[in-house]
Amino acid sequence: MSEHEHETQHSTGGEPGAEAHGENGWLHVEKWEGVWIRVAVAMTVVFIAAITVAAMSFGITVPGATARINPMTLNDPDSPFATPGIRELAPGKYEVYMVAQTWSFLPDRIEVPVGSEVTFYLTARDVIHGIKIANTNVNMMALPGQVSVLRAKFDKPGVYNYICHEYCGYFANSPIGHHTMYGQLIVTAPDNATETVQVTQ
Amino acid sequence: MQKTLDSPNLKKPALLWGGLLAIPLLAVILFAVAQPIKVVPRIGLAPGFIFTDMYGRQLTNEDLRGQIVIYNFTTTSCEAPCIDTAPIMQALQEFVKQLDTGGIPVTLVTISLDPERDTPERLQAYARKLNADPARWHFVTGSPERLKQVVGGGFELYYTQDEHGVFYFAPMLAIVDGNGILRARYKRGLEDVAIAERDLMLILEEARNSSGAAGLVYEAAHLFLCYPTY
Repeated sequence: MSEHEHETQHSTGGEPGAEAHGENGWLHVEKWEGVWIRVAVAMTVVFIAAITVAAMSFGITVPGATARINPMTLNDPDSPFATPGIRELAPGKYEVYMVAQTWSFLPDRIEVPVGSEVTFYLTARDVIHGIKIANTNVNMMALPGQVSVLRAKFDKPGVYNYICHEYCGYFANSPIGHHTMYGQLIVTAPDNATETVQVTQ
Repeated sequence: MQKTLDSPNLKKPALLWGGLLAIPLLAVILFAVAQPIKVVPRIGLAPGFIFTDMYGRQLTNEDLRGQIVIYNFTTTSCEAPCIDTAPIMQALQEFVKQLDTGGIPVTLVTISLDPERDTPERLQAYARKLNADPARWHFVTGSPERLKQVVGGGFELYYTQDEHGVFYFAPMLAIVDGNGILRARYKRGLEDVAIAERDLMLILEEARNSSGAAGLVYEAAHLFLCYPTY
């Protein structure tokens, strides 16, 4: 009976100070407002869980700033960036030293056998660039003065185009060349490899 | 009337709980921003190997567990334009000799890329020339295929040999910790001695504090990427 009186007191207004607080002094929350607050909290929890699971299980790796390099020294004879390209470290393991510059990638063609593990070392010669190899996990920024490193494994044969995903600038007195900055990663299947060997023989 | 009296009293627990939550959160943020402890990043698992040393004995990566190991990769016939890392190793040997490592052994290993010419006798002569302490500094080599797997695939040092048998490679040093985890790779030549010494001190400091609460703090330093700046 007293509870009923309490309810009616609320609906009619009552004291302005007492109105904001419900039973036990907690903030009074409307039913649907409460439902939506719970939904919002649940969504946040689900998103954080999804990010955690994705980070742990989908092999997403963030390229790290593992080394710094003076862009002026890229062409020094002892610098690996002086001869950009792919090198075989051991059977099935490769490293690629890549230079991004206005407006091209060095190298603009990389060929690896399927199943290879490739470590990319990327830096920029002049301005900020980026690389995205389509349909792969490879997505990096290329900053002058910094070497970005990313390891990737290519399990599906095919031709993968890579592009610069950073609008790498417009210099006075020179044409815009951002759209010409691209290259190709070719992942060769084992039977293709034997075919080419046979052809050369 | 009673409710208006209650509400200020009930705000206090909320403040208390909020404070209790905020203090560890602030501590974590302060730790991540100030980075009072520096650690050397864990690059990955170091490669396993079985090599033969200059006395013809086997040396494996498992023999070196519990020791901090500094590797260099060279041939005994490394002459200009080949950049020799042996002087760096000599400097590091002297540094380690004078260092109080707190009972944690620090070992040096030179891996020769040229098994054909670098026979045990030749490695022994090379060790004498470098004033190497045999208890502290190993000189090893193995079959070309195994070397390619370990040095090329594992330590990721690219090297080639031309038709005259001359090896071409960039100077490189690597540090592996007592758990067999690769911690550092130096590819820039002689200027890296100071950085290698600093990293060695940090790895030793971490090894000394690897148990109990201190170990957890060092793990947190790894989590928050408290790496030394170059």
